[in-house]
Amino acid sequence: MLIELLTKRYPGMRAWLMQRLTALLLAIYSVMALVRFLLLQPNGYEAWVDFFQPCWWRFASWLFWVSLSIHAWLGVRDVFKDYVPNAHVRSVLLKLLVVMLWLYWAWATWLLLV
Amino acid sequence: MKNNPPQPRPSARATLDQKNRPKNLNLLTISLPINALVSILHRATGCVLFLMLPVILLLLQYALASAQHFETVLAILHAPVIKLMLIGLAWAFFHHFFAGIRHLAMDVHWMRTLMKARYTSKVVLVLGVIATLLLAIKLWM
Repeated sequence: MLIELLTKRYPGMRAWLMQRLTALLLAIYSVMALVRFLLLQPNGYEAWVDFFQPCWWRFASWLFWVSLSIHAWLGVRDVFKDYVPNAHVRSVLLKLLVVMLWLYWAWATWLLLV
Repeated sequence: MKNNPPQPRPSARATLDQKNRPKNLNLLTISLPINALVSILHRATGCVLFLMLPVILLLLQYALASAQHFETVLAILHAPVIKLMLIGLAWAFFHHFFAGIRHLAMDVHWMRTLMKARYTSKVVLVLGVIATLLLAIKLWM
């Protein structure tokens, strides 16, 4: 039954679950970032670059941004669904949202690769 | 001999009531339950965080670009007005964080009764303010 609810026939359930899963990842990364910041106490440019140097941290940050994109898409989509009654305006806004999130994703990926 | 006044038909009465019913859109007269307050703030702070994404990326890019850029970013962040905005953004993050954890807890059926939900709403609001205050102290020290 539970598995059945997560198939393509129930996209709402999938969205619901994705929002929760990405929320968990975002929360875990946020706590990790805070702990790392308090442990390393980066002071100055060199320390700040070192903070973002480790490969695993870059990968974690990248995963964070992927989760953030999905989470923001679902969240803002719900806001549009609730407050934008005009279907045409809403569909334009949703497309704009997707384009912006892809751009941010590319930007973040580039920042973490360089 | 009884002379009953004609009763208006229910449908006619309904339209009359719909015409005369009070328009109560004065937001100051609506009291929001604390659960609803936490919920709408969760949504509002989510929107604010989404709108600030490009600013966060831009700051990160500048801070990592070179030592000079890093100093510029620090100087910008030290301006009192920016500091206040930073604290506002931090509150948005902390509120979204704690309220989100509350929603996750309710999804797995913790703290689900009305009394408990009201209590956890207060906890979420207080935690958000405490976390923001700690950050504010750290920023001004």
